[in-house]
Amino acid sequence: MSALLEVNGLATHFTTRDGVVKAVDGVSFRLDAGKTLAVVGESGSGKSVTALSIMRLVAKPRGNIVAGEVLFKGDDLLKMDDARVRDLRGDRIAMIFQDPMTSLNPVFRVGRQIGESLMLHKGMSRKEAFERAIELLDMVGIPNPRDRARDYPHQFSGGMRQRAMIAMALACDPDILIADEPTTALDVTIQAQILELMMEMQARTGAAIIMITHDLGVVADLADDVMVMYAGKQVEYGPSDAIFYDPFHPYTWGLLDSLPRHDVDEKGVLHPITGQPPSLINVPPGCAFHPRCPFAQEVCETDVPPALAVTDAHVSACHFSTDPEFRRGVAVACAVPEGVESA
Amino acid sequence: MLRYAVRRILQMIPVFIGVTIILFVLRAPGVLPGDPVRMITGERAIPESLREQIIEKHALDQPLHMQYVIYVRNLLQGDLGESYQRGRPVVDIFAEKFPNTLRLAVAAIIVEIVLGLTAGIVSAIRQYSFLDVLLTLSTSVLVSVPVFWLGMLFQIFFGIRLKEWTNDAFYLPISQMSSAQFPDWVHLILPAITLASVSTAYVARIMRSQMLEAMGQDYIRTAEAKGLKRRTVVYRHALKNAMIPVVTFVGIDFGVMMSGAILTETVFSWPGVGREIFLAVGQRDWPIVMGGVIIIVVIIMIINLIVDLSYALLDPRIRYGGGAE
Amino acid sequence: MTLRDPGNVTAPSRTLWGDAWRRLRKNKFAIAGLVWIVFIVAMTLSADLWVPATFGDPLAINTAPGASLAPPSLEHPFGTDKLGRDVFSRVVYGARVSLTVGVLAVSISLAIGLLLGSLSGYYGKFIDTIVMRSADVFFAFPYILFAIALIAVLGPSYRNVFIAIGILGWPSIARVFRSSILSVKENEYVDAARAMGASDLRIMVRHIMPNAIAPIIVYGTMSVGGAIITEAALSFLGMGVQPPTPSWGLMLSDAKSLMFAAPWLTIWPGFAILTTVLSFVLMGDGLRDALDVKMKD
Repeated sequence: MSALLEVNGLATHFTTRDGVVKAVDGVSFRLDAGKTLAVVGESGSGKSVTALSIMRLVAKPRGNIVAGEVLFKGDDLLKMDDARVRDLRGDRIAMIFQDPMTSLNPVFRVGRQIGESLMLHKGMSRKEAFERAIELLDMVGIPNPRDRARDYPHQFSGGMRQRAMIAMALACDPDILIADEPTTALDVTIQAQILELMMEMQARTGAAIIMITHDLGVVADLADDVMVMYAGKQVEYGPSDAIFYDPFHPYTWGLLDSLPRHDVDEKGVLHPITGQPPSLINVPPGCAFHPRCPFAQEVCETDVPPALAVTDAHVSACHFSTDPEFRRGVAVACAVPEGVESA
Repeated sequence: MLRYAVRRILQMIPVFIGVTIILFVLRAPGVLPGDPVRMITGERAIPESLREQIIEKHALDQPLHMQYVIYVRNLLQGDLGESYQRGRPVVDIFAEKFPNTLRLAVAAIIVEIVLGLTAGIVSAIRQYSFLDVLLTLSTSVLVSVPVFWLGMLFQIFFGIRLKEWTNDAFYLPISQMSSAQFPDWVHLILPAITLASVSTAYVARIMRSQMLEAMGQDYIRTAEAKGLKRRTVVYRHALKNAMIPVVTFVGIDFGVMMSGAILTETVFSWPGVGREIFLAVGQRDWPIVMGGVIIIVVIIMIINLIVDLSYALLDPRIRYGGGAE
Repeated sequence: MTLRDPGNVTAPSRTLWGDAWRRLRKNKFAIAGLVWIVFIVAMTLSADLWVPATFGDPLAINTAPGASLAPPSLEHPFGTDKLGRDVFSRVVYGARVSLTVGVLAVSISLAIGLLLGSLSGYYGKFIDTIVMRSADVFFAFPYILFAIALIAVLGPSYRNVFIAIGILGWPSIARVFRSSILSVKENEYVDAARAMGASDLRIMVRHIMPNAIAPIIVYGTMSVGGAIITEAALSFLGMGVQPPTPSWGLMLSDAKSLMFAAPWLTIWPGFAILTTVLSFVLMGDGLRDALDVKMKD
């Protein structure tokens, strides 16, 4: 079966005064209808640019998609003319952004902003669109939706605005919903509500979701697949269970170690990743992660690691991903500081 | 909204008091060098009897605070004094000239809006293009041009040279009185462009920077993610946000034009409020100058109030007392 | 966090100004402005040495037949005026008036504005209210009319022109300075200095001033241009510099009745005003970008 969305070798570069920034450099994944893909990485890892590239919203003339294909139902979005992409945008593929405070236009009523894509894509009249916007606000759990649709964004709380953003994104019943850190700007208590709402909406509409986050913990329960990004590159990609319980890439280990876990021994030690993410203008040669990797060897400093398939659906871009000796050695090394014999 | 309006009106009171104090100080005896009677009569020889009358009427022999109370009371009753040189109340003189000034200001505002907005939007949409650099440099030149000089150049070029070169076929009238062969509005062209010149440059600059700021906002990306056309995004989502400060500027400028017109009106011999003040300056007819100043200050205050209230109408964040500022 | 010795964290380091200068140097328009101002200053300062000898005394009235209203020629590059005076010479000497008024007026505005702005921003509360409401009152007046009213009382003269322009300029300076003080005041190094027992004056001069000064430099530069244009306008209206002092505005005032017969009387003084003011505006723009000052247009 062909995938709903298939991305192959996507690369997006930005030209800046200081040089070319390879914000996204060779990213591939697939997304099936109704599934959830989590894209995880630190800030600057290229996850947001990946999302904007799929939407073809990378800001020109500085940003350019230089390679790859983005197949939506088999058609390459990158080869379509602008008008066709616009037809899909907001209709078949919708997006929610990080900061609901600034992502809504302050001078238009919320209902009008939600109705805008309905008028555009579904040919509704202003009145029909407004009525539908009220239904959508109700659906995302806004009380008194009929009154609230006439409010301006500043009259909404942060959580309500993100609900409104979700309503706006879901207005045309899209096949894919891209959520770029949808909860980062919100209070912790509201975060859970928004995630829950998104899952509920997915169950209801059957939309596939690409969830972009820097917080692996957020996606632990809801993602089907996980893609980990580092310095514009895809470092590990596979089914959620495999990433969480059997990760192959040292960076993923680092991410998981720095994640407070409830399923392991209480005595487990947090190993935060040391150092800073690299500047994207001066990406280290070889494996971009090698300066921070505790297990780096000579080859890591010179050769860019290929994406190695560790199982059918699971790839890891580490030279030693398919080396059982290496993994065994690491297990021993990690165990020693805690003074516990490895099994 | 009503509370906002009331608060705004209450804020005007201390400013008005401040304005009257300053204007009062300028003619109060002993505070500044200068003869208070002269500030009331103008610098023209007056008989001793009239001098005494004036001292009595304005209570110049009484303590300062009494003089101030009388001064404000007269103002509130619309008594701005008399021009002793022309023997007419100042209010009457200005009432007669005001329509001319208003006509010129309206024409100038139209020029300012049309040219300024267009230039600003074009500049912003084509940021860093040759056209943008050219327009931005032009605005710097325009704000540096003395308006009275620009008016003189216009007169030399459009009024005389053009007429010579085209053998009288085409030229523009250089003042209201210059000829009867043009329809009324044609007489407005040169003075209006002159009066609008500096403001047009400011409108273009503000429009450009506001547009650029608006287009960098997150909600623009949201609008694009909906699949809207670039044009729609720019002209609906960005423009409406960018317009708010521009409307404020134009509104306030309309008030200022009632007074800034003194230079333009002088150059074009336009029989308005500004020229009246200029003529009074020449004759040292201070009651007209001082009266003109206070009339204009009051007009500006009222217009600024209206601008503030309409600003609130444009920006929902203020209208509903939300998070603005 | 460790407290650093507040004595060492005063002015932005030299590299900040170095960076600013490097950025300014790249701005062609700003440099053109700077060059033009230097040129004009050099011309007018050295004028005594060569201008009267070559082109004639700016004040010397020449009643000889044909001397009055002579069009531009080699002898009189900008022509002569009604009284037979050399226009080029008057334009060169006029620069003295314009630049002096511009600089002195802005100095007065700066003195008042910085004092009131710092009191207002630093102490806040009651003083702040008084100062800012007074600024509102000043802003309620149309600028040029207020200047005319002031001069009507003081009497029109060279000195009173820059005094009036200077007095009218303080509220803008005070506002700009107040807001930059408010933003600097919140910095930790100011708290640190206070914790070390530094006096208000010392904190103001050593810690706040150096960091709040960038917007003032930008605003001050632009204001010189504004003051020059205001002087010209006042002199044009007869409320400024009095004849026979050569002032560009006054020359335009004289030219008004002769602008069709002798356009050179109109063109050159105006051109001098335009280029001088433009130079200050371009330099202000350049400084704003170079110092990275956020200002409302």
